Amino acid sequence: MSRRSLTRRDFLMAAAVTPIAGAIGCCCTGDGTAGVPSTAPASGGRVASIKSISFASRVVLARDAAAVGEGRKFNGPVIQKMLDDAVATLFGENDAAVAWKKIVGPNDIVGIKTNTWNYLPTGKEVEEAIRTRVLAAGVPADKIAVADQGVLTNPIFKAATVLINARPGRVHYWAGMGSCIKNYIIFAPKPADYHDDACADLAKVWSLPPVKNKTQLNVLVMLTPLFHNIGPRGFSEAYLWPYKGLIVGKDPVAVDATGYRIIQAQRAKHFGEDKPLETSAHHIMLADTRHKLGTSDPNLIEVIKLGWTEDILI
Amino acid sequence: MNVLQDSAASRLKSLLPAEAAGWKAEAEDRLYDRDSIFEYIDGAGEVYRAYNFRELLSRRFHRAGAPDIIIDLFDMGSAADAFGVFTHDLEGEDAGLGQGSNYKGGLLTFWRDRYLVSIFAESETSETKAALFALARPVAAAIGRDGATPALLALVPPDFAAGGTVRYLHSPVILNYHFYVGAGNLLGLGPETEAVLAKSADKGRNGVLLAVKYPERAQAAAALARFSKGYLPDAGRAGLVRTEDGKWTSFRLVKGVVAIVFGAPTKAGAAALLNNLAERIK
Repeated sequence: MSRRSLTRRDFLMAAAVTPIAGAIGCCCTGDGTAGVPSTAPASGGRVASIKSISFASRVVLARDAAAVGEGRKFNGPVIQKMLDDAVATLFGENDAAVAWKKIVGPNDIVGIKTNTWNYLPTGKEVEEAIRTRVLAAGVPADKIAVADQGVLTNPIFKAATVLINARPGRVHYWAGMGSCIKNYIIFAPKPADYHDDACADLAKVWSLPPVKNKTQLNVLVMLTPLFHNIGPRGFSEAYLWPYKGLIVGKDPVAVDATGYRIIQAQRAKHFGEDKPLETSAHHIMLADTRHKLGTSDPNLIEVIKLGWTEDILI
Repeated sequence: MNVLQDSAASRLKSLLPAEAAGWKAEAEDRLYDRDSIFEYIDGAGEVYRAYNFRELLSRRFHRAGAPDIIIDLFDMGSAADAFGVFTHDLEGEDAGLGQGSNYKGGLLTFWRDRYLVSIFAESETSETKAALFALARPVAAAIGRDGATPALLALVPPDFAAGGTVRYLHSPVILNYHFYVGAGNLLGLGPETEAVLAKSADKGRNGVLLAVKYPERAQAAAALARFSKGYLPDAGRAGLVRTEDGKWTSFRLVKGVVAIVFGAPTKAGAAALLNNLAERIK
């Protein structure tokens, strides 16, 4: 990208999404790689090398070229392995089963908050991969629910001791990004109450009683993310791309900030210019700076990359 | 459905075809209003609400072995707002329908009179593209008449807008979407204000023109003072600043209109553009 003078407008724009903007390569914030660990991609799910830097948050980006087939068909076994590798790495274990026991146990009641948006749902393969490991960790089947709409009246979600949050990463007309933070909007009695200033305060939802302090894992599904909005639904197949990745972390803000970087990078690649999101995704930054939900600064997020590296974008 | 909703539904239904190119309407039409729109299109409903949207009728069409097609017919309440919401998304190739249209990625959009029409194929094929147009033509015909574009557009010098983009809006979020002015709402935009944002060709190489019309001159003056303090504190009484990229940003209050030129290549160019605009304000 060519260098040019930083104008006050540039400054204001950067301020609106800083610190997450720090990694998208705009002229005013550097190339976005400073301070971000360059962990070697690991094949076979082995734990990648981790630099001895003190990070606020760790996320694992797992990718596999075989995760998505023709017609956007998800490959269940491959996705299961990606999730296992990611969770094991996230918790510093070699065995995913051991790692999952750090997330849930036999006495837990577990709500798996999915997303059923018909154009780009979380996907039953992802849901089943999570559910399989929750069962394997000892949680009885009748103490597990997978749901999106209706969570406020779902008896498992109402009694849940643990939530697992899984949804696709995509751009969103009003929130900028639809990702893990936003996935809990359905826990709000009136979701539209959180629309002000392009959903700036979405993170408040994470303080509501059905949610607060319950989430043990966030899975941002980047198998076929949506990088551009058109039309009332904000959807066209033309703007999906087979990234074939999962971003997994305990910190939803770090997970979302990493997904944001990837989507911005794809937009720059596709459009040939640094094209801002339709609406600023400032709710991710504000989840950090205003609501203290997690870390949005890429320089403080440890991104561990596993598997396929082609067109990884970050 | 109450009487008013029933009336709206009947009016909107009468504008939509039952079938075209082998696709037939199936299931029941769905009607949404300003509150229930979120049940249908989530937070994106705010885009339409930002243009004073009234009702939306959605009809799904099915053909065996082919992707479904959905017509969303938005009653925006006025031709100005139908035009405005259309200008929110100008990407795509001109489709030659209604008073303005575009096609891209399996989505055909046009506006006519007080209506915005969006016709979407769940998967894009050459057949669905043809079907979208086959469904669109009778809708445009059924609407029957053209509406007036916003009078505020007349403030934009035609030679400035030629080949560029002109958008009409009310909301600060919509403004920031197209041209970032700053967090919050420095210019005091809202349902009662009208704004036109024009970018010249070549990605605004010759600058960006923003004109905001307020109900009262006092509101315009207060908004300009807020903008000046927050965005151009160094502009002084002249309302003119050479920004860090060597370009010129200037503003002026003319009656109830705040006019701002961003990023003009020369000082004289900024002044000429504002003078031209001022002369157009009656």
